[in-house]
Amino acid sequence: MTALLILVALFALLLLRVPVAFALGGLGLALLLLGGFSPLMAPQAILSTLDGFILLAVPLFLLMSNVLLKGGVGRDLFAAVHAWVGHWPGGLAVATIVSCGVFAAISGSSVATAATIGTVAIPEMISRGYDKRFVYGLLAAGGTLGILIPPSIPMIVYGFVTEQSVIALFLAGIGPGLALVGLFIVYSMVYARFFGGYTPEPPASWAERRTSSLRALPSLALAVVIIGVIYSGAATPTEAAAIGFAAALVITGLMLRTLTWQGFKEAMFESMVTTVAILLIVAGAKVFGKAITLYRIPQDISVFIGQAIDTPLAFILVVSVVLLFMGLVFEALSMVLIMTPVLLPAAMALGLDPIWFGIYMVVMVECALITPPVGLNLYVIQSVARASLGDVSRGVLPFLALMLLTVALLYVWPDLALTIPFKL
Amino acid sequence: MLLFARLTTALAWIAALLFTIAGAMLTYEVAARYFFTAPTIWAAELSQLTLIWGSLIAMSWALAARRHIAVDAVVRLLPRDVQRGTETLAMIAVAVFSAMVAWHGWGIFYDSYERGRTTGSMLDLPTWVSELAVPVGFGLLFVQALIETGRALSGARLDDDPGDVIE
Repeated sequence: MTALLILVALFALLLLRVPVAFALGGLGLALLLLGGFSPLMAPQAILSTLDGFILLAVPLFLLMSNVLLKGGVGRDLFAAVHAWVGHWPGGLAVATIVSCGVFAAISGSSVATAATIGTVAIPEMISRGYDKRFVYGLLAAGGTLGILIPPSIPMIVYGFVTEQSVIALFLAGIGPGLALVGLFIVYSMVYARFFGGYTPEPPASWAERRTSSLRALPSLALAVVIIGVIYSGAATPTEAAAIGFAAALVITGLMLRTLTWQGFKEAMFESMVTTVAILLIVAGAKVFGKAITLYRIPQDISVFIGQAIDTPLAFILVVSVVLLFMGLVFEALSMVLIMTPVLLPAAMALGLDPIWFGIYMVVMVECALITPPVGLNLYVIQSVARASLGDVSRGVLPFLALMLLTVALLYVWPDLALTIPFKL
Repeated sequence: MLLFARLTTALAWIAALLFTIAGAMLTYEVAARYFFTAPTIWAAELSQLTLIWGSLIAMSWALAARRHIAVDAVVRLLPRDVQRGTETLAMIAVAVFSAMVAWHGWGIFYDSYERGRTTGSMLDLPTWVSELAVPVGFGLLFVQALIETGRALSGARLDDDPGDVIE
């Protein structure tokens, strides 16, 4: 009963448009006061959140990807991949997906990925005669790879709130990320083969392949180095992010000479804005989480779920439906932060691995990013392509189906995620 | 009010600079550890301070610029006059919350300051160095929330471009 009241109060605050961070923090503080607990816990929880070394990786990964974005690395990446696969059936679409996948490996955000690759790929694909809805859907969905292929900001946040290893989460994202890239590629090729409509291209010359690949090489190397450094344990994710940021400056500022002073300032400021927005939500969620734990809400829900649902399959089905509905209205990170503390105890009681559950949450959140009316990636593509939200929303439907297919795949074959971190 | 807006904008830029400096410090730390086998004792701790102070001093600018993440799918469907009312309530809620956190945060800071508590880490900084950021940040946020309450009531806040949503 208390759980229900708290949920109603939270939703009321959120739907009133109280910023998510302060809705969570404020409700948490109110609950502490009502329950006779010390309100000092609120500022303490905020401080202890911002004192988390792993969260320092958030601004640094953002700085890295924003610097690369301002340095026009997206264009170079796309040109290089395009030179290799452009002549395949649906070649441009394949090039787009592969570029999204590569950029995802140097960026922890799906919005940055969709914006970077979308800016170059959308005009190119439309001018080649691809159906515009297919193009929008491809880019909105391709962009979500940003948070599944490491680094990933939602994984950092999930790791922080659940006290799981962020390194293990990063590594567990690789398998499902590649599977999703594969599914998108196969779908694009099949689509192009049967629904065509585009103008096929001749293969690029070897000279073209060489020059474009050379230009994209530093960014590609950066992606490999970041993951390598984290995997080998040579540096923590936070340190890897700092090195990545420094390397991004060297690549765009000294090697390619595409980063302007103005661009650097914008990258700095944008990274700050995103960092503040994200970390305050995490801090607010920490206050809220403390309060509901004192009220024993997660335990009660876990017991309730345990009585009503006794198989992991039923649990995942129910949770997926709930998350899909929440994803219609909620923004991705808030969803992870609100639902994880409530669901993880129940998931673990049913024998689900916490790292596996994190990857599952990330894929579900990817779906939330592209389900209308509120889906960040829909907005990004809408503004990049100057398209109607309706066209973008219809375009993503087949891709949404592919993402849910990945969830199913992940369920029947958990090793898709867990092999790389635990069995290699 | 113009002066306050200038102050919060300046603080937002300082926050951006602080995060960038954290990147530089940690890069130096890794280089020092691997190339000179001489890890620093200050890099991790000071960069953590940049995160605490940076996030908290930039909050009020983000509130004014409507750059905090909020759920607006439902409110958007309401008539404009009702929206003015809900937005005003939302800003009052932020004001109340920030006032309370600033107040209790001040208590934590003052207590540590009086007792001369230190972190007990390598640098052994006084703990109030980080704790002071809470009353400062939320105090500024409280003032900003009051300003925004007025602007929500007059409808000026609704006319602002909510900026790019982010994640």
